[in-house]
Amino acid sequence: MDVLARYMYYVGGAGLILIGLYMVLAKTNLIKIILGLSFLDTGTHVLLVAVGYVRGRTAPIFSEGVPEATPVVDPVPQALVLTAIVIGIGVIALALGLAVRVYRHYGTLDVRQIKGLKW
Amino acid sequence: MVGGALLIAIPLASAFAIPLVGLALKRAAKWVPPLALAADLVIGLILLPRVLEKPIIVSIGGFPPPFCINLMVGPLGLSLAILISFVALLISIYAVGYIKTEPTEKYHALFLLLTTGALGVVLTGDIFNLFVFFEILCVASYALTAYRKDRAGSEAAMKYLIQGTVGSTFILVGIAFLYGLFGTLNMADIAARVPSAEPLHLFVILAFFIVGFGVEAAVFPLNAWLPDAHSSAPSSVSAILSAIAIKTGVYAIARVSYTLMNARGVLVLISAIGIVTLVIGEMAAYRQKDDIKRMLAYSSVGQIGLIVFAIGMATSFGLFGALFQLVNHALAKCLLFLAAGYMIYRVGSKRLADMDGLGRSMPLTTLAFSVGAFSLIGLPPFAGFMSKLSIVCAALETQRAAYLALVAVALAATIVEAGYFFRVVQGFYFRKQVAPDSDRQPIKETPAGALMPIVVLAVLIVVVGVYPGLVTNALRGAANELVNRTEYIRVVLGTP
Amino acid sequence: MRKVLALLLVLAVGAGFCAVLAKIPFGTDKVDVANHYMRKGVEETGAGNIVTSVVVTYRGFDTLGEVTILFIVAIGLGAVLFVEKRPAGEQKEEASLIVRTGSKVLFLPIILLGVYIFVHGHLTPGGGFQGGAVMASGFLLLYLAWPRHRAGRRTFSAVESLAGVAFVAIGLLGVACGVGFLGNFLPLGTRYALLSAGVIPIIYVAIGLKVGAELAGVVANLMERE
Repeated sequence: MDVLARYMYYVGGAGLILIGLYMVLAKTNLIKIILGLSFLDTGTHVLLVAVGYVRGRTAPIFSEGVPEATPVVDPVPQALVLTAIVIGIGVIALALGLAVRVYRHYGTLDVRQIKGLKW
Repeated sequence: MVGGALLIAIPLASAFAIPLVGLALKRAAKWVPPLALAADLVIGLILLPRVLEKPIIVSIGGFPPPFCINLMVGPLGLSLAILISFVALLISIYAVGYIKTEPTEKYHALFLLLTTGALGVVLTGDIFNLFVFFEILCVASYALTAYRKDRAGSEAAMKYLIQGTVGSTFILVGIAFLYGLFGTLNMADIAARVPSAEPLHLFVILAFFIVGFGVEAAVFPLNAWLPDAHSSAPSSVSAILSAIAIKTGVYAIARVSYTLMNARGVLVLISAIGIVTLVIGEMAAYRQKDDIKRMLAYSSVGQIGLIVFAIGMATSFGLFGALFQLVNHALAKCLLFLAAGYMIYRVGSKRLADMDGLGRSMPLTTLAFSVGAFSLIGLPPFAGFMSKLSIVCAALETQRAAYLALVAVALAATIVEAGYFFRVVQGFYFRKQVAPDSDRQPIKETPAGALMPIVVLAVLIVVVGVYPGLVTNALRGAANELVNRTEYIRVVLGTP
Repeated sequence: MRKVLALLLVLAVGAGFCAVLAKIPFGTDKVDVANHYMRKGVEETGAGNIVTSVVVTYRGFDTLGEVTILFIVAIGLGAVLFVEKRPAGEQKEEASLIVRTGSKVLFLPIILLGVYIFVHGHLTPGGGFQGGAVMASGFLLLYLAWPRHRAGRRTFSAVESLAGVAFVAIGLLGVACGVGFLGNFLPLGTRYALLSAGVIPIIYVAIGLKVGAELAGVVANLMERE
């Protein structure tokens, strides 16, 4: 239990990734699979930000009220996550557009029936 | 210092400008990619002699690495960049006349951006930047695969997107682990700190990266998307995907294994995966009789397997063979897909049986197709002969039983490859054409604008086959760059 | 069967996670690079928001790539969802009075909020992407309220292209001034003032407009479909 409390954010991030992976592999509705992709993205972002956290420090924004000597958390993972979030929504948007097209052609969102291309 | 950044800035700015050009004059948009790529090719060729002696480090933002992102324009990066610009230039010239589905200016913008992504992947020296440019490449290829919006294309693009995104997630998780362990994202810096970590952790991270990049590189068992995507996309898109996009996955695997992780012990496993991919690809290609593009797609899977096998050899000669095979496959497969594009268009079908007798009606196209096919099989005097010979010699040189066994399997697979390619070429020249319906147009040769890139590629394959020295110098330097990781670290970071 | 296989794969990946994460203690200090950004960030770039200075200056190339991906998505959706002829007589329901009135009232403040966020990107949390997303939500509100209007698709396309070219042009100007691609060539100014931090506010304005135009275009594309 203590391990869980100490590594809570890692468990959360990794857990979301694993849930997303399961959804992509095992679900049969196209929208649920795309939702699984979204879980994968979110989990990765949580993991990245958690890696950058340092105990007892604050946000890396200096201003007149927050002098430069204040200890702050690692700003690099936050910048990485900014980029990754934008990439993630781009991919999900494209996925939804493609899903609309596939639905127009096949009339169904069940991946077991969207098998026009065979072995 | 300037030249390196221009290699990426020019195609990027041109791609951003295409919608504006399209708004002003619709017909001008399709000429922007060839111009931008020609500029890139020229810059690359000018920089090459200098880079072979001493790599150029371009730091983006003006700060010294590792505090900023840097481009590492070394022999490996620049050789691949020249290959990418050259192949993409030819395909973009072909596409000027080939792409007719609306909205055409969007196609050209997406194509140029795909190429920019590939250029960024091979030139960058920062692992997260590699991921970003890799994503540019992937997202552009998802959109291009679905470009025709037909039933097959949409389904293929959807599957490609889902599998590709899972792969990208694995890469990002690997980057998160690397940052957590080492605190930096610069590839040379990570390479310098790697000896301080435990082998188990490095193995797990390497596994994540290989799975992630392996989806795009189409190694077994992650290649399910490739036959669908490469056969359902428009032919110019199939050409760029097979020739360039999957190679960036292979480059990334090589970069992570050699420069970053120094993963000597695991390389045999990588070779084994390569041979399995080769066998499965070639055998599946042999079974394809209904769709020539699907046959070519499976052939790509097989060839990637061969390249990955050669990458797993830890010697400089082995890597040289891998890179040479990579170049030859890019040239030949691009040629094959471009030729097949117009063959399918003129005949009206993708079935192999319908291609019989084309040797008479489309002489230049089928001749070029045969040149490409023979080069891939590895017949002299074509370029493929030298590269396959190099790989076999390198395997014999290692004198390790594992590699000898694997290379024997590779040679057996080559026989299968010869089988299905000869079947097609025999159909061109030695069988009669199926009598066309009276209301269908007689089959004419490919139009001149599209024929020019095809002929240029065929001629180049023969020239490289006869004078391999044209490319081997640069490739030898590139192979050395991969093997000498201490040199890489020293060039980027300076002596520590 | 498929579910069992999926479960096994997931467990294998989970084991991999455990193996590596055990060695990355949560909440400890990392080395080198991050410390440099924390200590010297304000001095070298002039921005109070260190995340902004990392995103725009130290790792500006990533931001350029990210902006490109959004561009690809906007164009890709335009290509994938493209329809040659609009079917005649498409009837869309009028939105209710509350939505229409609310949109009229809220649209300008939302746009203003977006502009505020990206103009102050170097001083407060936020920046180009966040501001652009807020602006796009204003346009989404407009589309929800008046579904029959296809507001300025061409304007969005022109704006995103111009902003993209401007971003690369600023990078090339850095080369011309000798500070390297995407280097800072403007004076850093007084700390924590609005007009400071060199090129960072300019880049963020370009990014904010680009992202706003792109996301609004994406929303317009997706909403056009039945």
